[in-house]
Formats: sequence, C-alpha cells, structure tokens
Amino acid sequence: MDTSKYKGLYLQETQEHLSGIEQGLLALEKEPSDQATVDNLFRHYHSIKGMSASMGYEPIKTLAHAQEDLLDRIRSKRLHPTAELTGTLLQCLDEMKELVKRVEADEPLDADIEPFVKMIKILVEAPEAASAAPQTQLTPPPASQTPEAQTAEVKISNIMKVDGRVFDDLLTIVGDIFMALSSFKSLSHTLKSIAFKDGVHLMGKTVNRLHDNILSARMLPIGDLTMGLPRVVRDMSQRTGKQVELKTEGMEISLDKAILENLSSPLVHIIRNCIDHGIETPGERAKAGKRPAGTITIKAFSKMDRVVISIADDGNGIDVEKVTARAVSAGIPRERINAMNPTARLMLICLPGVSAAEKVTETSGRGVGMDIVKNSIEAIGGTLDISSTRGTGTEISIELPRTTAIIKTLIVKAADEIFLLPISKVKKVIETGRDDVANGFFKFNGASVPVIDLKTALGLEGGEALSDICTIILAEGQAETNERPAEGPESWLVGIKVDDFGDEIDAYIKPLLPPMSKLKGASGITIMGDGRPVFLLDIPRIASNILSRQ
Amino acid sequence: MAARRILIADDVAFFRQTLKDLLAGEGFEVVAEASNGAEAVEMTKAHAPDIVLLDVVMPEKNGLEAAREIIRLKLPLKIVMCSSLGYEPIVKEALKAGASAYILKPFDKVSVLKALSSLEKPDAG
Repeated sequence: MDTSKYKGLYLQETQEHLSGIEQGLLALEKEPSDQATVDNLFRHYHSIKGMSASMGYEPIKTLAHAQEDLLDRIRSKRLHPTAELTGTLLQCLDEMKELVKRVEADEPLDADIEPFVKMIKILVEAPEAASAAPQTQLTPPPASQTPEAQTAEVKISNIMKVDGRVFDDLLTIVGDIFMALSSFKSLSHTLKSIAFKDGVHLMGKTVNRLHDNILSARMLPIGDLTMGLPRVVRDMSQRTGKQVELKTEGMEISLDKAILENLSSPLVHIIRNCIDHGIETPGERAKAGKRPAGTITIKAFSKMDRVVISIADDGNGIDVEKVTARAVSAGIPRERINAMNPTARLMLICLPGVSAAEKVTETSGRGVGMDIVKNSIEAIGGTLDISSTRGTGTEISIELPRTTAIIKTLIVKAADEIFLLPISKVKKVIETGRDDVANGFFKFNGASVPVIDLKTALGLEGGEALSDICTIILAEGQAETNERPAEGPESWLVGIKVDDFGDEIDAYIKPLLPPMSKLKGASGITIMGDGRPVFLLDIPRIASNILSRQ
Repeated sequence: MAARRILIADDVAFFRQTLKDLLAGEGFEVVAEASNGAEAVEMTKAHAPDIVLLDVVMPEKNGLEAAREIIRLKLPLKIVMCSSLGYEPIVKEALKAGASAYILKPFDKVSVLKALSSLEKPDAG
C-alpha cells in the first residue's frame, strides 16, 4: 500500500482518537466503573493500533496495542482501573502524542517505547488486580445499548473533513484575486465602458461573497481549543494539591482558526495563573468558608460582531496593594498609580515585572507573562480586561474579533528597526555588492531599477550593515491606480535597500486609525509576539514619495 | 457482469478510505459507508448491497451484533468480516452465524480481492 497518500487522514483521525483518549482517561479517573467510558477508550486504542499498523508506524502500533490489551482487561473486569493506572495511561498518551508529532514532522520514529510498554505490563500483571475486580461489579452498567429508533435516518453526512491549510491557501488566493480586481477597477475608470464597469462591480461582489464564505469555513468552535484544558487542570491540581473543577459554557461559538490557534497559549497561561495564584488550597478555602474545590468557569458569548471569552475563578482574588507595591518597585511613579482607578491598577499586572505572586512556582513562574498574554491577545486584534474582588475571585475577560485579516509578509530591517513588506509585492530578494548600486540605480534583467534606501525614506539613522553586501528587495513599486507602462514589467519595479531581511510571517494586520492613519508609507500595523508594534509598509507610496523628490 | 454493490462498515474513516481505494477499478461499487454497527444495519436495509464488509470493533453495535441482525433480515447478500489479529473467536462466531468470509487488517489488495472473489453469486434467502 502506498501509505503516503493516507498520512493526512491518519494524522487527523489519530489526533481525534488521542483527544478522545485524553477525555476518556480523565472521565475514568472520576468514574472508574463507567463501562461506556471503558468501551470508548478500548476502541480509540484499537483504532490507533490498526491505522498505525497499516501505515507501518511500528512504535505507535506497539504502544497502542499494549494499552488496548490493558483496556480489554478492564472491559472484561479482569482489572480495575486505579488512579495509578490512569496516571500511567496518561503518560503513555503523552508519548503517543509525541510520536504522532514526529510522524507529522516526517521525523524518524526511533523513540524507545520499551519503558512505556513495561509500565503497562506491570499494570496488566498487578497481583492486586484480581482482588480489586469485585468492586467493579457493584455497578455493572449495561454495555452500550442504544435505542434502535435513534438511527432510523439513513443519509450521508454533509460534514466533510478537510485539511485546515486548504482554507489558508484559499484565503491567500482570494487575496490575490482582490489584488487583480483592483487593477481591473482602475482600468474600468480609464476605459469608461459601462459594461466593463458593471462586470468589474459584479465580480467584486462575487469575490467578496467568496471571501466571506472562506472566512466562515475557517471558523472552529471554541470547544476545539478548550478540549485539552481538563488535562491541564488535572495535572496542575495534582501538582499543587488544590482541588479544581472546570466548567465551560458557550464552547460551540466559533472563531477563525488562526485566532483560536493564537489563543491557545494565553488561555493555558490564564488557567495556570488561576490555579497557581487564584484558587486556594482546600485548607485555606475551608477557613474562608468556601467549598474545598475551587471552580474555574470559562464562558463564551457573542457581543455584536465580536466574541467574549471570560475565565473566572472563585479563588482569593488579586491583592491590589501588592500589585501596587510591585509596580512601584518596577519603576512606576506612585503618584501615577494613586491617580488610577481600581481597574487600571489591576491592569498593572500586565506590565512586565509586576505580579501578585509571592513565590516562583514550577508551573506559572512569577505570574510570568500576563504581559505576554495581553500582547498575544492584542496581536490577534483582541482586548483583555481584568476584574477581581479580594476573597471572591478574579475574572479575565477577552474580547476577540471572529475573523482575521492575515497576510503573508517579509520582515526587513533598517537602522535596527523592523518593518514588514507584503509578500505579494515582493518579487525577489537580492544580495549584491555595494558597488552594483550606482547613482541610485540597479541593473536587473537589463533594466535600470531605481533603488530607495529605506533608512533615507523613513528618516532613520544608524544600524549600518557591516559588510560590503547590500540587500535589495525588488518589489512592485507602482500603485494600483497608475497605469502600467508599456516598456515591460521591470519598469515598474523598485529596489528597496535594507540592512537585512528576516523570515516570512503571517501577520494579523490592523488598519491604522487616526492620527496614525496620516502616516505616509505605512498601510497597517501588527504586534509581534514580543509585543513590539511593527508597521506594514506601503511600497508604492514610499516609492512615489521618494522618486518624485529625486 | 454488473459491478457488485458493496457496503463498507468501519468506524475508522482511514480504513473505509483504504478499502475504497483498493476496490476501485476492480468491479465493485461502494454504495454506502457506515461508521458504526447500527448504521450498518440501517444502511443495509436502505441500499440492499450485494456484499457487506463489517469491521468487528465498532461503537453502537459491534460487527458481530450487526452481522447477526443483518442475517436476520434474510436479504440476498454476503457478509465479510474485517478484523485485526486477535479477534479470531469473534470472527469464528460471525462465520458460524452466517457470515461468508473474513479479511484481515492491515488490508492488502491481493487478500481482499481473493476473499471477495471467493463469494459465490448471492442468492435469495
């Protein structure tokens, strides 16, 4: 069998089974005698084993097989699932996830799974298993019985499984169509043909509809993201000795895939902070007259065209006095803090170096990263608010757009500053000797291309490149509204001299609002992962400004 | 000869796809796909296929339960059980109950086609 064509299907289905296993194991830990959970778990392992055998992924097959055997024993009541057993299976699950990641990355599957297989063997052969077995007979729920009437309808599902990257590509393609369309639009102004103009108008409407449809196809329920949280909560509760219940609501609300992906680490971080710094130990909670188990509630709801996700805990709340003290020692003037309202004071924890945590913990450090959390949320066009009442709890509220404007960009560097260029405009990156640029022109394909020094254009200084190598980005320098000259494509190119260039990145671009919209040469702004705002450059505008001056 | 109409029942899409691909161009028409045992029974009623391929481990109803129900329908069709190694007792029971053949996972084209061609033309009852 040519396995390569099935890899996508394998990965997708295996990942579904892996998250099914995670949910199942967490459920088993709470309800060890639930037969339906055991049956489901058994089938998940069985399916992974079967698929991995077909694909020739031997270590995954072996590991899944060992666990399938174990589940079979539990299923037939020869073994009782202890906390130790689910703990081991969770460890094995992590190993399987790791192996599947390697498959995805085309890395060799040479991991040593023997220790894991051995751990499972020990469980299978555990002598106390026999004695523990009778317990399970107390509540013998019938094997999955479903009423026959439930499956009366026979039809093929309308739901298709498609690789998410297809939609990324589609969005890029629609972006390209938009660009092409704008050339048509400018042409329609010159041509003065009503029929042509109507045609372009109709096409514009159609492309907009296509764009909307693709955006809605990229939507995923928030539940896809929060699915992994019960495990995070479980592991952290065990580590901290705190009891935590996780409740969710509104997880069926959908957001753009890219927004959800970028929400993942901030969300985990917030949850960790809740458990580490918010929720008290059972003893402390008892003293405060609270239930021993703390609760984290994640709630999502729609608000106009945006979505709000609120993460609330019923812990001890944030100590504003401590935050203030830390803010002062982090160098923020006390007068300024005194003038702040309570909400603004709470937001101080989102500044680097300010935190209410008393000790560094293994999981979330010293309140690490509320600054990073806030930056990441803002980078996807969202906002973050905090409200907290001492003794009763904290709520972090994140408001997000449903969809994104993401474009592919190239990072360039000039005078120690970084900027983004839209990839769609970049034709070529050339590294050449300084001498090759004569009188502000560079020879390319026989044509003389004007070269703009980005530093001069933006009035920047310093950060001189050390070598004699000169980096030139060849880009489309002609604005769309101009007619293209007849001499050939080279004649509308422009060279942009930069100090260096970096990676291609997908940037979430926000429009510039007044007064920044007055900036000539920038068409949008994005916030990098480290919180740095970076401008997306408007090449045609810069080119026409500089070249008209020459 | 007209293409033989097949129903594939497996809860794993991966196996349904690989089976479909290796049956392509071999004189079979996959008329329906079921992802659990209960669906397999209902789809058998709806599509009246010539051959039903039943995976052993499935949710709702497992392959053996589904096979027994389909046999009770007394339709002119053949049942082929699919399983990985280690499920011989269940497969044997299915064969005793009236299934006609079995194929082993991971599927390989030669054995699948051999098993399917071994089925004589289905007759009523």
